[in-house]
Amino acid sequence: MAAELLARPAPNTRPFEARSLRRTILRMAYAGSSVHIGCAFSIVEILAVVYRSHLATRPGAGLLEDARDYLVLSKGHGVMAQYACLYEAGVLNDEDMDRYFRDGTRLKGLSDAHVPGCEVTAGTLGHGLSVGVGLALAAQRHGTGQRCFAVIGDGEMDEGPIWEALLFAAHFKLDNLVVIVDENRFQAMGTTEEVMGLGSLQAKFEAFGFDVRSVDGHDERALDTALGELKAQRNARPKAIVARTVKGKGVSFMENENKWHYTRLTEATYLAAMKELAPA
Amino acid sequence: MLLTGDHGYALFDQYRASCPERYINCGVAEQNMVGVAAGLAKGGFRPIVYGLSSFVPMRVLEQIKMDICYESLPVILIGDGAGVVYSTLGASHQCAEDVAALRAVPHIDIHSPADRFELEYCFSSMLRTSRPSYLRFGKADCGDVHAKTPEVPLGDLIQVRQGASAVGIVAAGSMVSRAVKVSDAIGGIPVWSVPSIAPFNRAQLLEASRSLRHVITIEEHSVAGGLGSVVAEIIAEAGAGCRVRRVGIEHRFSELCGSYDYLLSYHGLATEDIRRVVEAALAE
Repeated sequence: MAAELLARPAPNTRPFEARSLRRTILRMAYAGSSVHIGCAFSIVEILAVVYRSHLATRPGAGLLEDARDYLVLSKGHGVMAQYACLYEAGVLNDEDMDRYFRDGTRLKGLSDAHVPGCEVTAGTLGHGLSVGVGLALAAQRHGTGQRCFAVIGDGEMDEGPIWEALLFAAHFKLDNLVVIVDENRFQAMGTTEEVMGLGSLQAKFEAFGFDVRSVDGHDERALDTALGELKAQRNARPKAIVARTVKGKGVSFMENENKWHYTRLTEATYLAAMKELAPA
Repeated sequence: MLLTGDHGYALFDQYRASCPERYINCGVAEQNMVGVAAGLAKGGFRPIVYGLSSFVPMRVLEQIKMDICYESLPVILIGDGAGVVYSTLGASHQCAEDVAALRAVPHIDIHSPADRFELEYCFSSMLRTSRPSYLRFGKADCGDVHAKTPEVPLGDLIQVRQGASAVGIVAAGSMVSRAVKVSDAIGGIPVWSVPSIAPFNRAQLLEASRSLRHVITIEEHSVAGGLGSVVAEIIAEAGAGCRVRRVGIEHRFSELCGSYDYLLSYHGLATEDIRRVVEAALAE
Protein backbone atom coordinates (compact mmCIF):
# COMPACT_ATOMS: atom_id res chain seq x y z
CA MET A 1 0.00 0.00 0.00
CA ALA A 2 2.83 2.37 0.89
CA ALA A 3 4.48 2.01 -2.49
CA GLU A 4 1.19 2.61 -4.22
CA LEU A 5 0.56 5.81 -2.27
CA LEU A 6 4.08 7.06 -2.89
CA ALA A 7 3.63 6.70 -6.63
CA ARG A 8 3.42 9.80 -8.79
CA PRO A 9 0.07 11.56 -8.60
CA ALA A 10 -2.15 11.18 -11.62
CA PRO A 11 -2.11 14.26 -13.86
CA ASN A 12 -4.74 16.73 -12.75
CA THR A 13 -7.63 17.57 -14.95
CA ARG A 14 -7.98 20.82 -13.01
CA PRO A 15 -4.82 22.74 -12.18
CA PHE A 16 -4.02 23.48 -8.57
CA GLU A 17 -6.65 21.08 -7.25
CA ALA A 18 -6.60 21.35 -3.45
CA ARG A 19 -6.61 17.63 -2.61
CA SER A 20 -3.78 17.05 -5.05
CA LEU A 21 -1.77 19.92 -3.55
CA ARG A 22 -2.28 18.48 -0.07
CA ARG A 23 -1.08 15.09 -1.28
CA THR A 24 2.04 16.72 -2.64
CA ILE A 25 2.57 18.43 0.72
CA LEU A 26 2.26 15.08 2.49
CA ARG A 27 4.62 13.48 0.01
CA MET A 28 7.25 16.14 0.74
CA ALA A 29 6.64 16.13 4.47
CA TYR A 30 6.99 12.37 4.63
CA ALA A 31 10.06 12.30 2.40
CA GLY A 32 11.77 15.03 4.44
CA SER A 33 10.31 14.19 7.86
CA SER A 34 9.23 17.83 7.90
CA VAL A 35 7.19 19.78 10.43
CA HIS A 36 4.75 22.66 9.61
CA ILE A 37 2.18 20.44 7.89
CA GLY A 38 -0.82 22.12 9.55
CA CYS A 39 0.58 25.57 8.63
CA ALA A 40 0.79 24.57 4.96
CA PHE A 41 -2.63 22.94 4.87
CA SER A 42 -4.44 26.08 6.00
CA ILE A 43 -3.29 28.12 2.97
CA VAL A 44 -3.81 25.54 0.22
CA GLU A 45 -7.00 26.99 -1.23
CA ILE A 46 -5.66 30.55 -0.92
CA LEU A 47 -2.57 29.72 -2.95
CA ALA A 48 -4.51 27.52 -5.37
CA VAL A 49 -6.89 30.36 -6.27
CA VAL A 50 -4.12 32.94 -6.55
CA TYR A 51 -1.94 30.70 -8.73
CA ARG A 52 -4.80 29.43 -10.87
CA SER A 53 -6.69 32.64 -11.54
CA HIS A 54 -4.79 35.72 -10.40
CA LEU A 55 -1.07 35.27 -11.06
CA ALA A 56 0.51 35.21 -14.48
CA THR A 57 -2.78 35.98 -16.13
CA ARG A 58 -1.35 38.78 -18.30
CA PRO A 59 0.70 38.12 -21.43
CA GLY A 60 4.41 38.06 -20.70
CA ALA A 61 3.85 37.67 -16.96
CA GLY A 62 4.69 34.01 -16.41
CA LEU A 63 5.66 32.93 -12.92
CA LEU A 64 9.35 33.55 -13.49
CA GLU A 65 9.19 36.48 -15.91
CA ASP A 66 10.13 40.04 -15.05
CA ALA A 67 6.63 41.38 -15.63
CA ARG A 68 5.02 38.83 -13.29
CA ASP A 69 2.64 39.57 -10.50
CA TYR A 70 4.17 38.74 -7.15
CA LEU A 71 3.07 36.13 -4.65
CA VAL A 72 4.90 36.91 -1.44
CA LEU A 73 4.66 34.20 1.19
CA SER A 74 5.40 36.15 4.33
CA LYS A 75 4.34 33.26 6.58
CA GLY A 76 7.33 31.33 5.32
CA HIS A 77 6.61 28.22 7.40
CA GLY A 78 3.69 27.44 5.09
CA VAL A 79 6.16 27.03 2.24
CA MET A 80 5.30 23.42 1.42
CA ALA A 81 1.97 24.69 0.06
CA GLN A 82 3.88 27.02 -2.26
CA TYR A 83 6.29 24.25 -3.28
CA ALA A 84 3.27 22.08 -4.14
CA CYS A 85 1.92 24.87 -6.39
CA LEU A 86 5.32 25.45 -8.00
CA TYR A 87 5.61 21.71 -8.59
CA GLU A 88 2.25 21.73 -10.27
CA ALA A 89 3.29 24.74 -12.34
CA GLY A 90 6.38 22.85 -13.51
CA VAL A 91 8.83 25.17 -11.75
CA LEU A 92 9.89 22.47 -9.27
CA ASN A 93 10.34 18.83 -10.18
CA ASP A 94 9.86 15.33 -8.78
CA GLU A 95 13.38 15.20 -7.45
CA ASP A 96 12.70 18.38 -5.45
CA MET A 97 9.67 16.73 -3.90
CA ASP A 98 11.10 13.29 -3.21
CA ARG A 99 14.50 14.42 -1.97
CA TYR A 100 13.12 17.11 0.35
CA PHE A 101 15.64 17.92 3.11
CA ARG A 102 18.25 15.48 1.78
CA ASP A 103 21.85 16.62 2.08
CA GLY A 104 22.71 19.26 -0.51
CA THR A 105 19.17 19.97 -1.72
CA ARG A 106 17.80 23.46 -2.37
CA LEU A 107 14.32 23.50 -0.83
CA LYS A 108 14.39 24.60 2.79
CA GLY A 109 11.74 24.40 5.45
CA LEU A 110 11.01 28.11 5.16
CA SER A 111 10.38 30.34 2.15
CA ASP A 112 13.67 31.23 0.45
CA ALA A 113 14.10 33.76 -2.33
CA HIS A 114 16.87 31.68 -3.90
CA VAL A 115 14.24 29.11 -4.90
CA PRO A 116 12.68 29.94 -8.28
CA GLY A 117 9.13 31.09 -7.76
CA CYS A 118 9.65 32.17 -4.15
CA GLU A 119 9.75 35.96 -3.96
CA VAL A 120 11.03 36.47 -0.43
CA THR A 121 13.07 34.86 2.28
CA ALA A 122 10.67 34.52 5.15
CA GLY A 123 10.25 32.43 8.22
CA THR A 124 11.63 35.11 10.38
CA LEU A 125 8.20 36.64 10.64
CA GLY A 126 7.14 40.16 9.79
CA HIS A 127 9.66 40.53 6.94
CA GLY A 128 7.90 39.41 3.79
CA LEU A 129 5.06 41.90 3.90
CA SER A 130 7.45 44.87 3.91
CA VAL A 131 9.38 43.46 0.96
CA GLY A 132 6.04 42.91 -0.80
CA VAL A 133 5.10 46.50 -0.08
CA GLY A 134 8.39 47.55 -1.69
CA LEU A 135 7.62 45.41 -4.75
CA ALA A 136 4.16 46.97 -4.99
CA LEU A 137 5.65 50.43 -4.62
CA ALA A 138 8.23 49.75 -7.36
CA ALA A 139 5.42 48.59 -9.68
CA GLN A 140 3.32 51.63 -8.82
CA ARG A 141 6.20 54.04 -9.45
CA HIS A 142 7.20 52.30 -12.69
CA GLY A 143 3.57 52.11 -13.79
CA THR A 144 3.91 48.43 -14.76
CA GLY A 145 0.45 47.32 -13.63
CA GLN A 146 1.97 44.48 -11.59
CA ARG A 147 0.19 43.38 -8.44
CA CYS A 148 1.53 41.95 -5.24
CA PHE A 149 -0.35 39.31 -3.25
CA ALA A 150 1.13 38.93 0.22
CA VAL A 151 0.08 35.99 2.37
CA ILE A 152 0.63 36.57 6.07
CA GLY A 153 -0.26 34.49 9.11
CA ASP A 154 -2.48 35.73 11.89
CA GLY A 155 0.15 34.72 14.44
CA GLU A 156 2.65 36.68 12.34
CA MET A 157 0.60 39.79 13.03
CA ASP A 158 2.13 39.91 16.52
CA GLU A 159 5.19 41.32 14.75
CA GLY A 160 5.52 45.12 14.81
CA PRO A 161 6.78 45.54 11.21
CA ILE A 162 3.46 44.14 9.94
CA TRP A 163 1.70 47.20 11.29
CA GLU A 164 4.42 49.51 9.99
CA ALA A 165 3.91 47.97 6.56
CA LEU A 166 0.12 48.36 6.70
CA LEU A 167 0.43 52.05 7.63
CA PHE A 168 2.90 52.54 4.78
CA ALA A 169 0.75 50.72 2.20
CA ALA A 170 -2.24 52.92 2.95
CA HIS A 171 -0.23 56.14 3.10
CA PHE A 172 1.38 55.47 -0.27
CA LYS A 173 -1.92 54.39 -1.82
CA LEU A 174 -0.76 50.92 -2.90
CA ASP A 175 -3.98 49.68 -4.49
CA ASN A 176 -1.94 47.01 -6.30
CA LEU A 177 -1.25 45.30 -2.97
CA VAL A 178 -3.52 42.52 -1.74
CA VAL A 179 -2.74 41.27 1.77
CA ILE A 180 -4.27 37.87 2.51
CA VAL A 181 -4.36 36.86 6.15
CA ASP A 182 -4.41 33.16 6.90
CA GLU A 183 -6.62 33.46 9.97
CA ASN A 184 -6.35 29.94 11.34
CA ARG A 185 -6.44 31.28 14.92
CA PHE A 186 -3.40 29.30 16.00
CA GLN A 187 0.21 30.20 16.53
CA ALA A 188 3.19 28.21 17.68
CA MET A 189 2.28 27.88 21.36
CA GLY A 190 -1.51 27.93 21.31
CA THR A 191 -4.52 29.79 19.98
CA THR A 192 -4.09 33.43 19.04
CA GLU A 193 -6.70 34.23 21.65
CA GLU A 194 -4.59 32.57 24.35
CA VAL A 195 -1.23 33.90 23.21
CA MET A 196 -1.89 37.39 21.86
CA GLY A 197 -5.48 38.32 21.11
CA LEU A 198 -5.90 39.97 17.72
CA GLY A 199 -9.53 41.03 17.98
CA SER A 200 -11.30 41.78 14.72
CA LEU A 201 -8.86 41.77 11.82
CA GLN A 202 -11.58 43.10 9.52
CA ALA A 203 -12.01 46.14 11.79
CA LYS A 204 -8.28 46.61 12.11
CA PHE A 205 -7.69 46.57 8.34
CA GLU A 206 -10.59 48.97 7.82
CA ALA A 207 -9.15 51.31 10.43
CA PHE A 208 -5.83 51.17 8.57
CA GLY A 209 -7.49 52.33 5.33
CA PHE A 210 -7.78 49.00 3.48
CA ASP A 211 -10.65 47.66 1.39
CA VAL A 212 -11.38 44.38 3.18
CA ARG A 213 -13.29 41.19 2.57
CA SER A 214 -13.71 38.41 5.13
CA VAL A 215 -14.22 35.01 3.53
CA ASP A 216 -14.06 31.30 4.23
CA GLY A 217 -10.43 30.63 3.33
CA HIS A 218 -11.23 27.13 2.08
CA ASP A 219 -14.08 28.23 -0.22
CA GLU A 220 -12.30 28.72 -3.53
CA ARG A 221 -15.26 30.40 -5.18
CA ALA A 222 -15.56 32.92 -2.33
CA LEU A 223 -11.81 33.61 -2.44
CA ASP A 224 -11.89 34.03 -6.19
CA THR A 225 -14.84 36.41 -6.07
CA ALA A 226 -13.29 38.50 -3.30
CA LEU A 227 -9.95 38.72 -5.12
CA GLY A 228 -11.69 39.67 -8.35
CA GLU A 229 -13.73 42.41 -6.71
CA LEU A 230 -10.80 43.84 -4.81
CA LYS A 231 -8.49 43.80 -7.83
CA ALA A 232 -11.02 45.72 -9.87
CA GLN A 233 -10.98 48.62 -7.43
CA ARG A 234 -8.06 50.85 -8.43
CA ASN A 235 -9.09 53.45 -5.87
CA ALA A 236 -5.79 54.30 -4.17
CA ARG A 237 -6.61 52.00 -1.26
CA PRO A 238 -4.70 48.79 -0.50
CA LYS A 239 -6.69 45.56 -0.28
CA ALA A 240 -6.98 42.84 2.30
CA ILE A 241 -8.71 39.50 2.57
CA VAL A 242 -9.21 38.01 5.99
CA ALA A 243 -9.38 34.31 5.14
CA ARG A 244 -10.93 32.28 7.94
CA THR A 245 -9.08 28.97 7.79
CA VAL A 246 -8.56 25.74 9.68
CA LYS A 247 -5.03 24.80 10.66
CA GLY A 248 -4.41 21.29 9.33
CA LYS A 249 -7.40 21.55 6.97
CA GLY A 250 -8.12 18.44 4.91
CA VAL A 251 -7.05 15.66 7.27
CA SER A 252 -9.46 14.92 10.09
CA PHE A 253 -6.87 14.21 12.75
CA MET A 254 -4.83 17.30 11.90
CA GLU A 255 -7.62 19.87 11.80
CA ASN A 256 -7.38 22.38 14.66
CA GLU A 257 -4.76 20.18 16.31
CA ASN A 258 -1.89 22.56 16.88
CA LYS A 259 0.58 19.73 17.41
CA TRP A 260 0.68 19.45 13.60
CA HIS A 261 2.70 22.65 13.66
CA TYR A 262 5.50 20.41 14.90
CA THR A 263 4.62 16.76 14.48
CA ARG A 264 6.40 14.63 11.88
CA LEU A 265 4.62 11.96 9.91
CA THR A 266 5.05 8.29 10.74
CA GLU A 267 4.27 5.67 8.15
CA ALA A 268 0.92 5.11 9.86
CA THR A 269 -0.11 8.77 9.99
CA TYR A 270 1.18 9.33 6.47
CA LEU A 271 -0.91 6.49 5.09
CA ALA A 272 -3.98 7.51 7.08
CA ALA A 273 -3.71 11.11 5.85
CA MET A 274 -3.13 10.03 2.25
CA LYS A 275 -6.18 7.82 2.45
CA GLU A 276 -8.34 10.80 3.46
CA LEU A 277 -6.92 12.82 0.60
CA ALA A 278 -7.18 10.10 -2.03
CA PRO A 279 -8.45 11.33 -5.41
CA ALA A 280 -12.23 11.43 -5.39
CA MET B 1 15.37 56.35 -4.58
CA LEU B 2 16.12 57.90 -1.19
CA LEU B 3 14.34 56.50 1.86
CA THR B 4 14.54 58.03 5.30
CA GLY B 5 13.02 56.98 8.60
CA ASP B 6 11.88 60.52 9.35
CA HIS B 7 15.48 61.60 9.90
CA GLY B 8 17.56 64.24 8.16
CA TYR B 9 15.49 67.36 8.84
CA ALA B 10 16.56 70.09 6.37
CA LEU B 11 19.34 67.81 5.06
CA PHE B 12 17.19 66.66 2.14
CA ASP B 13 15.40 69.93 1.33
CA GLN B 14 17.28 70.49 -1.91
CA TYR B 15 16.99 66.85 -2.98
CA ARG B 16 13.26 66.75 -2.22
CA ALA B 17 12.70 69.91 -4.22
CA SER B 18 14.65 68.71 -7.25
CA CYS B 19 13.39 65.10 -7.39
CA PRO B 20 10.35 64.62 -5.17
CA GLU B 21 9.42 61.38 -6.95
CA ARG B 22 12.65 59.83 -5.68
CA TYR B 23 12.24 60.75 -2.02
CA ILE B 24 10.25 58.67 0.46
CA ASN B 25 9.88 59.47 4.12
CA CYS B 26 8.96 56.06 5.54
CA GLY B 27 8.00 57.44 8.91
CA VAL B 28 9.45 56.34 12.22
CA ALA B 29 9.40 52.72 11.09
CA GLU B 30 12.90 51.58 10.23
CA GLN B 31 12.18 47.85 10.00
CA ASN B 32 9.55 48.35 7.33
CA MET B 33 11.78 50.90 5.58
CA VAL B 34 14.54 48.35 5.06
CA GLY B 35 12.09 45.71 3.83
CA VAL B 36 10.57 48.23 1.43
CA ALA B 37 14.06 49.11 0.20
CA ALA B 38 14.67 45.42 -0.53
CA GLY B 39 11.40 45.24 -2.47
CA LEU B 40 12.27 48.39 -4.41
CA ALA B 41 15.67 46.93 -5.29
CA LYS B 42 14.02 43.72 -6.48
CA GLY B 43 11.67 45.90 -8.52
CA GLY B 44 14.50 47.68 -10.31
CA PHE B 45 15.28 50.72 -8.15
CA ARG B 46 18.59 51.65 -6.48
CA PRO B 47 17.47 52.50 -2.95
CA ILE B 48 19.53 54.60 -0.58
CA VAL B 49 18.40 54.15 3.02
CA TYR B 50 19.28 56.94 5.41
CA GLY B 51 19.13 56.69 9.16
CA LEU B 52 21.18 57.20 12.28
CA SER B 53 23.66 54.40 12.81
CA SER B 54 21.93 53.51 16.07
CA PHE B 55 18.92 52.54 13.96
CA VAL B 56 20.42 51.73 10.55
CA PRO B 57 21.99 49.19 10.93
CA MET B 58 21.54 48.44 14.64
CA ARG B 59 17.76 48.39 14.93
CA VAL B 60 17.27 46.71 11.55
CA LEU B 61 20.12 44.24 11.55
CA GLU B 62 17.88 41.26 10.82
CA GLN B 63 16.19 43.04 7.91
CA ILE B 64 19.63 43.90 6.49
CA LYS B 65 20.75 40.29 6.88
CA MET B 66 17.67 38.57 5.47
CA ASP B 67 15.92 41.07 3.21
CA ILE B 68 19.01 42.67 1.64
CA CYS B 69 22.21 40.68 2.13
CA TYR B 70 20.86 37.16 1.63
CA GLU B 71 19.86 38.18 -1.88
CA SER B 72 22.83 40.52 -2.22
CA LEU B 73 20.58 43.37 -3.33
CA PRO B 74 22.13 46.68 -4.41
CA VAL B 75 20.89 48.73 -1.48
CA ILE B 76 22.98 51.56 -0.05
CA LEU B 77 22.66 52.04 3.70
CA ILE B 78 23.83 55.20 5.41
CA GLY B 79 24.22 55.34 9.18
CA ASP B 80 24.75 58.93 10.26
CA GLY B 81 26.01 60.08 13.64
CA ALA B 82 28.18 57.01 14.17
CA GLY B 83 30.28 56.88 17.30
CA VAL B 84 29.59 59.46 20.01
CA VAL B 85 28.54 62.36 17.74
CA TYR B 86 25.27 62.70 19.65
CA SER B 87 27.28 63.33 22.76
CA THR B 88 24.47 64.87 24.79
CA LEU B 89 21.77 62.33 23.90
CA GLY B 90 23.18 59.31 25.67
CA ALA B 91 23.49 55.67 24.79
CA SER B 92 20.39 55.40 22.57
CA HIS B 93 21.84 57.71 19.90
CA GLN B 94 25.49 56.71 20.21
CA CYS B 95 26.72 53.79 18.19
CA ALA B 96 29.91 51.81 18.70
CA GLU B 97 28.64 48.47 17.43
CA ASP B 98 27.63 48.95 13.78
CA VAL B 99 30.83 47.74 12.11
CA ALA B 100 31.07 44.73 14.43
CA ALA B 101 27.46 43.81 13.75
CA LEU B 102 27.75 44.04 9.96
CA ARG B 103 31.16 42.39 9.63
CA ALA B 104 29.60 39.02 10.39
CA VAL B 105 26.96 39.45 7.68
CA PRO B 106 28.01 38.17 4.23
CA HIS B 107 27.97 40.24 1.02
CA ILE B 108 27.97 43.76 2.48
CA ASP B 109 30.72 46.37 2.00
CA ILE B 110 31.46 48.57 5.03
CA HIS B 111 32.83 52.06 4.53
CA SER B 112 34.09 54.50 7.12
CA PRO B 113 35.38 57.67 5.42
CA ALA B 114 37.76 60.03 7.20
CA ASP B 115 37.05 63.25 5.33
CA ARG B 116 35.06 64.69 2.43
CA PHE B 117 37.47 63.23 -0.12
CA GLU B 118 37.16 59.72 1.30
CA LEU B 119 33.41 60.24 1.46
CA GLU B 120 33.38 60.89 -2.26
CA TYR B 121 35.65 57.88 -2.83
CA CYS B 122 33.42 55.59 -0.74
CA PHE B 123 30.15 56.85 -2.11
CA SER B 124 31.21 56.52 -5.72
CA SER B 125 32.23 52.92 -4.97
CA MET B 126 28.81 52.31 -3.40
CA LEU B 127 27.07 53.68 -6.47
CA ARG B 128 29.15 51.44 -8.74
CA THR B 129 28.78 48.14 -6.90
CA SER B 130 25.84 45.79 -7.24
CA ARG B 131 26.40 44.52 -3.68
CA PRO B 132 24.79 45.85 -0.52
CA SER B 133 26.89 48.52 1.12
CA TYR B 134 26.95 50.48 4.36
CA LEU B 135 28.42 53.92 4.91
CA ARG B 136 29.35 54.68 8.49
CA PHE B 137 29.11 58.41 8.74
CA GLY B 138 30.57 59.94 11.87
CA LYS B 139 31.86 63.36 12.81
CA ALA B 140 32.37 65.04 9.47
CA ASP B 141 34.31 68.17 10.29
CA CYS B 142 37.49 66.84 11.83
CA GLY B 143 39.60 68.34 9.06
CA ASP B 144 40.79 66.97 5.72
CA VAL B 145 43.42 64.28 5.62
CA HIS B 146 43.61 64.19 1.82
CA ALA B 147 44.05 66.95 -0.74
CA LYS B 148 42.02 65.17 -3.39
CA THR B 149 39.78 62.18 -3.84
CA PRO B 150 41.82 58.98 -3.45
CA GLU B 151 42.09 56.70 -6.47
CA VAL B 152 42.94 53.28 -5.06
CA PRO B 153 41.29 49.89 -5.35
CA LEU B 154 38.43 49.17 -2.95
CA GLY B 155 39.73 47.72 0.32
CA ASP B 156 43.14 49.36 0.18
CA LEU B 157 44.74 51.16 3.09
CA ILE B 158 45.81 54.67 2.18
CA GLN B 159 49.04 55.90 3.70
CA VAL B 160 48.54 59.50 4.80
CA ARG B 161 51.80 59.96 6.77
CA GLN B 162 55.17 58.44 6.00
CA GLY B 163 57.71 57.54 8.64
CA ALA B 164 60.48 55.15 9.56
CA SER B 165 59.25 54.48 13.08
CA ALA B 166 58.62 50.91 14.27
CA VAL B 167 55.28 52.15 15.60
CA GLY B 168 52.54 52.71 13.05
CA ILE B 169 48.93 53.78 13.20
CA VAL B 170 46.00 52.33 11.27
CA ALA B 171 42.90 54.48 11.75
CA ALA B 172 39.42 54.93 10.35
CA GLY B 173 36.80 57.65 10.16
CA SER B 174 36.97 60.54 12.57
CA MET B 175 40.14 59.19 14.17
CA VAL B 176 42.35 59.57 11.09
CA SER B 177 42.80 63.32 11.44
CA ARG B 178 43.68 62.86 15.13
CA ALA B 179 46.20 60.16 14.24
CA VAL B 180 47.73 62.54 11.72
CA LYS B 181 48.00 65.26 14.39
CA VAL B 182 49.80 62.85 16.71
CA SER B 183 52.14 61.76 13.92
CA ASP B 184 52.95 65.35 13.05
CA ALA B 185 53.53 66.23 16.69
CA ILE B 186 55.88 63.32 17.38
CA GLY B 187 57.33 62.97 13.88
CA GLY B 188 58.09 59.87 11.86
CA ILE B 189 55.02 57.81 12.75
CA PRO B 190 53.46 56.25 9.63
CA VAL B 191 49.67 56.53 9.43
CA TRP B 192 47.29 54.59 7.23
CA SER B 193 43.66 55.48 6.71
CA VAL B 194 41.14 52.69 6.13
CA PRO B 195 38.13 54.03 4.22
CA SER B 196 36.73 50.54 3.60
CA ILE B 197 36.72 48.06 6.46
CA ALA B 198 35.09 45.41 4.24
CA PRO B 199 36.51 44.38 1.86
CA PHE B 200 39.99 44.78 3.36
CA ASN B 201 43.35 44.35 1.66
CA ARG B 202 45.03 41.79 3.93
CA ALA B 203 48.22 41.52 1.91
CA GLN B 204 48.75 45.25 2.02
CA LEU B 205 48.41 45.34 5.81
CA LEU B 206 50.84 42.45 6.21
CA GLU B 207 53.34 44.14 3.91
CA ALA B 208 53.07 47.39 5.86
CA SER B 209 53.38 45.61 9.20
CA ARG B 210 56.66 43.96 8.26
CA SER B 211 58.68 46.99 9.28
CA LEU B 212 56.63 47.63 12.42
CA ARG B 213 57.00 46.46 16.01
CA HIS B 214 53.64 47.93 17.04
CA VAL B 215 50.48 48.55 15.06
CA ILE B 216 48.08 50.86 16.86
CA THR B 217 44.51 50.87 15.58
CA ILE B 218 42.25 53.81 16.32
CA GLU B 219 38.52 54.03 15.71
CA GLU B 220 35.45 55.72 17.18
CA HIS B 221 33.89 52.29 17.58
CA SER B 222 34.05 49.41 20.00
CA VAL B 223 37.41 47.66 20.27
CA ALA B 224 35.41 44.46 19.77
CA GLY B 225 34.65 43.65 16.17
CA GLY B 226 35.73 46.80 14.36
CA LEU B 227 38.91 47.92 12.60
CA GLY B 228 41.07 46.85 15.54
CA SER B 229 39.68 43.35 15.37
CA VAL B 230 40.22 43.18 11.61
CA VAL B 231 43.86 44.17 11.98
CA ALA B 232 44.47 41.91 15.00
CA GLU B 233 42.92 38.91 13.28
CA ILE B 234 44.97 39.36 10.11
CA ILE B 235 48.24 39.84 11.95
CA ALA B 236 47.62 37.00 14.40
CA GLU B 237 46.53 34.56 11.70
CA ALA B 238 49.57 35.37 9.58
CA GLY B 239 51.86 34.92 12.57
CA ALA B 240 53.28 38.37 11.89
CA GLY B 241 55.67 39.48 14.53
CA CYS B 242 54.23 42.82 15.58
CA ARG B 243 51.99 43.68 18.49
CA VAL B 244 48.55 45.15 17.96
CA ARG B 245 47.20 47.76 20.36
CA ARG B 246 43.52 48.55 19.79
CA VAL B 247 42.34 52.03 20.72
CA GLY B 248 38.59 52.47 20.63
CA ILE B 249 35.56 52.47 22.82
CA GLU B 250 36.15 49.92 25.55
CA HIS B 251 33.29 47.68 26.51
CA ARG B 252 31.06 50.35 28.06
CA PHE B 253 28.31 52.86 27.42
CA SER B 254 28.55 56.61 28.00
CA GLU B 255 27.17 57.09 31.50
CA LEU B 256 27.82 60.83 31.34
CA CYS B 257 27.18 63.42 28.67
CA GLY B 258 28.84 66.59 27.45
CA SER B 259 30.52 67.95 24.33
CA TYR B 260 31.78 65.68 21.56
CA ASP B 261 35.35 66.34 22.67
CA TYR B 262 34.39 65.50 26.27
CA LEU B 263 32.92 62.17 25.17
CA LEU B 264 36.03 61.34 23.13
CA SER B 265 38.12 62.05 26.18
CA TYR B 266 35.72 59.99 28.34
CA HIS B 267 36.40 57.03 26.07
CA GLY B 268 40.14 57.64 25.77
CA LEU B 269 39.97 58.83 22.16
CA ALA B 270 41.14 62.44 22.49
CA THR B 271 44.30 63.40 20.62
CA GLU B 272 46.24 63.47 23.90
CA ASP B 273 45.07 59.94 24.75
CA ILE B 274 46.25 58.67 21.38
CA ARG B 275 49.58 60.44 21.81
CA ARG B 276 50.11 58.72 25.17
CA VAL B 277 49.46 55.31 23.65
CA VAL B 278 51.88 55.97 20.80
CA GLU B 279 54.57 57.25 23.15
CA ALA B 280 54.16 54.22 25.41
CA ALA B 281 54.62 51.96 22.39
CA LEU B 282 57.70 53.90 21.30
CA ALA B 283 59.17 53.50 24.79
CA GLU B 284 58.81 49.71 24.75
